[in-house]
Amino acid sequence: MSEIKPTVAISTDKNEATAEEKDWAAAKAHFESLKSTKPRPPKPRYAVTIGVSSRTLFDMVAERKIFEEEGLEKYVQHQQDHESEPLKPGVAFPFVKALMTVNERLRKLYPDSEELFDIVLMTNNHAQVGVRLINSINHYDLTIERFCMTGGQSPIGYLKAYMTNLYLSKDSKKVQEAIEEGIAAAIMFKPEMETPLSETQLRVAFDGDAVLFSDESEIIVKQHGLDTFFEHEKLNENTPLAKGPLKCFLEALGKLQKKFYAKNERLNCPIRTFLVTARSAASSGARVLKTLRSWGLEIDEALFLAGAPKGPLLQKIRPHIFFDDQMFHIEGAKDMGTISAHVPYGIGQKYNKGKLIEPEKQQK
Amino acid sequence: MAVSHLFLQNCTGPLMIALQYNDLFDLSISTSTNTDALPKGRAFTFIKAVQTVNERLVDQNKTESLLFEVILIAKECSEEIKMKIVESVKHYGLEIGKFYFCKKEELINTLQSNKVKLFISTDRDDVYKALHTGIPAALLYDQVDHHVLNQLKVIFSGEVIGFSEDSLDSLSDFGFGETQIETFKAAKICIKEFAVLIGQMRRRFGHENSPLCTCVLTTWGSRNICATAIKTLREWGLDVDEVYCLAGAPCSPILAVVKPHILWDSGLHNMRDSSAPS
Repeated sequence: MSEIKPTVAISTDKNEATAEEKDWAAAKAHFESLKSTKPRPPKPRYAVTIGVSSRTLFDMVAERKIFEEEGLEKYVQHQQDHESEPLKPGVAFPFVKALMTVNERLRKLYPDSEELFDIVLMTNNHAQVGVRLINSINHYDLTIERFCMTGGQSPIGYLKAYMTNLYLSKDSKKVQEAIEEGIAAAIMFKPEMETPLSETQLRVAFDGDAVLFSDESEIIVKQHGLDTFFEHEKLNENTPLAKGPLKCFLEALGKLQKKFYAKNERLNCPIRTFLVTARSAASSGARVLKTLRSWGLEIDEALFLAGAPKGPLLQKIRPHIFFDDQMFHIEGAKDMGTISAHVPYGIGQKYNKGKLIEPEKQQK
Repeated sequence: MAVSHLFLQNCTGPLMIALQYNDLFDLSISTSTNTDALPKGRAFTFIKAVQTVNERLVDQNKTESLLFEVILIAKECSEEIKMKIVESVKHYGLEIGKFYFCKKEELINTLQSNKVKLFISTDRDDVYKALHTGIPAALLYDQVDHHVLNQLKVIFSGEVIGFSEDSLDSLSDFGFGETQIETFKAAKICIKEFAVLIGQMRRRFGHENSPLCTCVLTTWGSRNICATAIKTLREWGLDVDEVYCLAGAPCSPILAVVKPHILWDSGLHNMRDSSAPS
């Protein structure tokens, strides 16, 4: 089975490697001894690690307001005073529940495998707030056993230390840092209204350019217009596009999907992936599909909108998360009830609704 | 365990930490002339951080008595080395309270008679020996580079604090040998006083810009053990700043980012079972 994590720093120090194994064995034994049916966390090296921030996992809007208006000390005190009150679910909550559902199915089919989703809470919140976070995790019975609460420091170093495959946050600075470090990351946005989502299948939608693929083609559109773009794409149909920040995450999903296919569960697979692109199938779609094929990746449904708005289509798809690099599409999606995640990557960040943003106004 | 006398609101007197000279200075590099100071060792950033804390404490209160005091222990030294040590300390401007030159077997006695609040060492065997005789001891984490942060970082073990007394015997189910369980129990007893003192010191500063940073690290325990550790420390008067719960994930990459100085740990690899065949 090929690696879910492309670069795993395997410990070269023999003592360290033995130490790691012993810690792992102790954790395994400890979890198995707990008098609950709680599944134990997977071995990080083989898992698809998803890092979520506290504000995406739980709704902390009111608390955030206290932090911004009254300062850190009052904020921490408030959280402590309300420690036993579970927080309300946040924007990444449905996604996390869907990941847990997939894990359940994987465990049934492969009881000894460590190739599962590993959900880690990565927050720069203070440890004292941690008690409320842990109580909330207990309240919803989430399988989140790993966390880093860095007390104000940037969590980026920890993302790498945890071999994170995807990081979700509300903080654009942290997400940008993560992407620059080569970690798939996105800024989550709450939809305007709630849409009922599948409880048996994880549904993930991706934009194409500057998300799964690099922004090379998008640069052409922005700088030379659509006609040049179509010509260019046709000419280069057989040249795979370079990869984008979320390609590895799609790859990880694909590897887990294959595990279901191997057990004859293709029709009942609890993971479904969607490509939702503004490209049109006829003029620029082939290159996209050929690129995916060259990478050995499958996507379940590829939807070419030829410039039509994405909102209505996403409303029908009802993904647990939709990744796009352009705020214009993110706004459109969330206005119509889709949980959206902005990937701040590529040339699209310098434009708003097709117009170049003045340098001073560009999102930092 | 009657420790109510520790809950004095105003603990006076220094917080004494004992360090061995071979951690403070690097003896593997030979010095060419007799006048060169000994090269900096693994405890260098620790001692600089301790001094920063003391400076900040005194800044806030000139008559502050709860300050760190570092004593340096040197086992089996020639007269020449003794001189070198004292000179090197002066050379680097290190604040060492006392020097103890003793024989190897006198280490524990020296620690006990000085009522040290913490003995730190990179030598795990020394740490375990000290713990077994009731001396609070923790690992001096090997800071890879000598970049000095203006902050002393202390990690408390989530398992040692969060694991309840009555569950201690179940530790053998998790792969702990008898000696390791004894070390764990000893650590559990010793850690409290140190935590209370650090808590008092920590309260002299606010959440931000503190020269003292405290963390809880749970290497294999569940999140509830971690939560118990945070709450227990809170009861003891220490509001920790950072918390890491690994649930069996490799801890070296995480520690490399946290960069602690003092590490109270319960990882099995840190508690070698001397009774088990190697």
